[in-house]
Amino acid sequence: MESRILQLIAALRASGVRVSLAESAEAFSAVDLMGIQDREHFRLSLRATLIKDVKDLPTFEKLFPLFFGSGQPPMMGGNPMDDLTPEEIQMLVEALKQYAEQLRQRMERLMNGDQLSRAELEALGQLVGLNQADNLNYQNWMAQRMMRALAFPEVQKAMKELMEQLAQMGMSRERVEQIRQMIQQNMQGMQEQMEQFAGERIAENLSEKPRGENIDNLMNRPFHALSDEDKKLLQREVKKLAAMLRTRIALRQKRAKNGQMDPKATIRASLKYHGVPMEIKHKDRVHKPKIVVICDVSTSMRFCSELMLSFLFALQGQVRKTHAFAFIDHLESISEDFGGADADEAIQSVLWRMPSGHYNTDLGWALNDFNNEFMDTLNSGTTLIIVGDGRNNYNDPRVDIFSNMSRRATRTIWLNPEPPIMWNGDSDMAKYAPLCSNVFKVGNLRELANAVDELMTG
Amino acid sequence: MSILFDSTSTVKTELSKQKYIASDEIATIVYLSQKLGKPLLAEGPAGVGKTELAKAIASATGRELIRLQCYEGLDESKALYEWEYSKQLLYTQLLRDKLNDTLGKAESLAEAADKLAKEEDVFFSSRFLLQRPLLKAILSDKPTVLLIDEIDRADAEFEAFLLEILSDFQVSVPELGTLTAKHKPFVILTSNNTRELSEALKRRCLYLFIDYPNLQEELAVVRLKVPDLNPKLAQQAVEFVQKLRKADMRKSPSISETLDWANALVALNASNLDKDVLEDTLSVLLKHEADLQKAKRQLMAPPPQPKPRNNDEFGRFSGN
Repeated sequence: MESRILQLIAALRASGVRVSLAESAEAFSAVDLMGIQDREHFRLSLRATLIKDVKDLPTFEKLFPLFFGSGQPPMMGGNPMDDLTPEEIQMLVEALKQYAEQLRQRMERLMNGDQLSRAELEALGQLVGLNQADNLNYQNWMAQRMMRALAFPEVQKAMKELMEQLAQMGMSRERVEQIRQMIQQNMQGMQEQMEQFAGERIAENLSEKPRGENIDNLMNRPFHALSDEDKKLLQREVKKLAAMLRTRIALRQKRAKNGQMDPKATIRASLKYHGVPMEIKHKDRVHKPKIVVICDVSTSMRFCSELMLSFLFALQGQVRKTHAFAFIDHLESISEDFGGADADEAIQSVLWRMPSGHYNTDLGWALNDFNNEFMDTLNSGTTLIIVGDGRNNYNDPRVDIFSNMSRRATRTIWLNPEPPIMWNGDSDMAKYAPLCSNVFKVGNLRELANAVDELMTG
Repeated sequence: MSILFDSTSTVKTELSKQKYIASDEIATIVYLSQKLGKPLLAEGPAGVGKTELAKAIASATGRELIRLQCYEGLDESKALYEWEYSKQLLYTQLLRDKLNDTLGKAESLAEAADKLAKEEDVFFSSRFLLQRPLLKAILSDKPTVLLIDEIDRADAEFEAFLLEILSDFQVSVPELGTLTAKHKPFVILTSNNTRELSEALKRRCLYLFIDYPNLQEELAVVRLKVPDLNPKLAQQAVEFVQKLRKADMRKSPSISETLDWANALVALNASNLDKDVLEDTLSVLLKHEADLQKAKRQLMAPPPQPKPRNNDEFGRFSGN
């Protein structure tokens, strides 16, 4: 039982759920306490201790029955042989005799309602390459392949013919239908058995799979060469980066305490000194950092926009006063999309709303939109972050608006996936760059981390 | 006193005495959290009874409920403790004679300072400590239930600050040292999931996700809390609310809103859920104008007629 729980935990980890050592220890003490007699209690004690996030709940619910299955799925149909009259059995045997040997065996099994044995399942699994599968999405596919290996489609066809034959031999319609249904249900049972087996095996493979690739390698890989799974891993790193950036911004603003005098706090503090106002207290300048981010999600930036958006998402989670915008040919506020707690959903909703298409990137126009509607979001104390390659398709770059924006903001930071040497052609980066406080080349996560680091020291 | 519930079924019965209907899931996890002495982190949409759960547990166990409502900018001095300067000052004023007595006999300045230093403890004792909810829960002579409400509203720093309390049930006050809880409080944290909580915090808690209840559960809650509503109407009302939740609303109605609505129906002496009653009372259930309009359009419209084929389909068929 213990090793089974450990396997479940390993499989959870392999599917991307974060389970710490303390939590797995906790799971064991919870199981000790609740016992394992009641399956429901057992499930809940594992779930409450191991899963700490709503979005991980489905993963758990999917894996749990695979490790602690309810046993063999029952053969629904029972044994059709039992309630046939001797004549009917005779007819059936006659009919079966006329089939090829292999099909006959299969049919007989279905007639008897036998389940597949463990060894048979193993052999089948081997046949279809189940041992290499380590992704639960393949569960149904694997089960289907196993069924095909068992010649299920042929059996199905044979059954139909068999039934017709029985009918011709003079068995009543209802009886034939009854037998057909029972066999059908037995097939269903076998199918479920195979699905369960495939799921179990995949989950076991999952739990043995070595932990993901070294994060360091991923950090150095360019954004466009990342697989979906890598992106998930990196999102976690991205979250850390956003947290770092936020602490830094908060610190900067806490240090700058040159706001108005705070009479209340001064009097309170003076009590320490017998009513003499020795310490003059000031109202804190806005403690809360404010960030305005404008992100290019056009075709040329598509390969990295997902990660960049997840960076924005994490940033928004950390800094309440974040206004996030995205643009291709016009500007849209995406702060609303980022309201929930699920990063993937938010990012998908933005990318879905702003599909990359035939229309051209137009930063100038986006800046114009910003100028008309959102200029008031920029004031002293705001950090303006622009994510994009500055490729403007020879549209008017509107440097005038941009310089106005950078003047209003405390700090203007540009994150560009291209190095300065590529700022040619339709890139207007060279015009924008002098107006920014910092321009960073961000082509992979390592560079993003470096940019954040530098922002923090600078 | 120290054992609250001795099985999951007691949790259920005791909570139902407090008019809180706990599902198996809630009962089991509450029981576990009490047995393991771990804080309980309850997450879920607004208004599904997370705060209510804490209240019910407190009254079921006869413990005092200490509540800390979190908000942006909440800090130690509001959550944990603060020195009461004015009281300290008052005491020094009033005790001036006594101080003179003590210090007067000193021969040198150094001796006086030493003597004063010896008495220093008097002025930094827990007498002058203004207890805020967290300290109160820890120093309480009786076991308590500590409710940290809407933790997701507080800043991330505050979460970090909670860690010591949640794992060891102790706090450090620089002048006094470490104060350890006499009785471990039963801690319940709630979150509306507006932002992700830190791993460290989650690790220290047991996790309970409370979702909107299904029809039977919600009906049971309505029947229990609003007994005056006639059963047929209650059934209709709950079915209506469940239908609203499936529709895409900006804010789905919560259980507490269902209850408000049920009470409104009782107050209006409604006998049936007809169009007039709905129009009059729907604003109790839905708080956004857009939602209201949508609900009125969708749910009060006559049953949909078979849809005429739209152009798309025509296009597709004619193309073949």
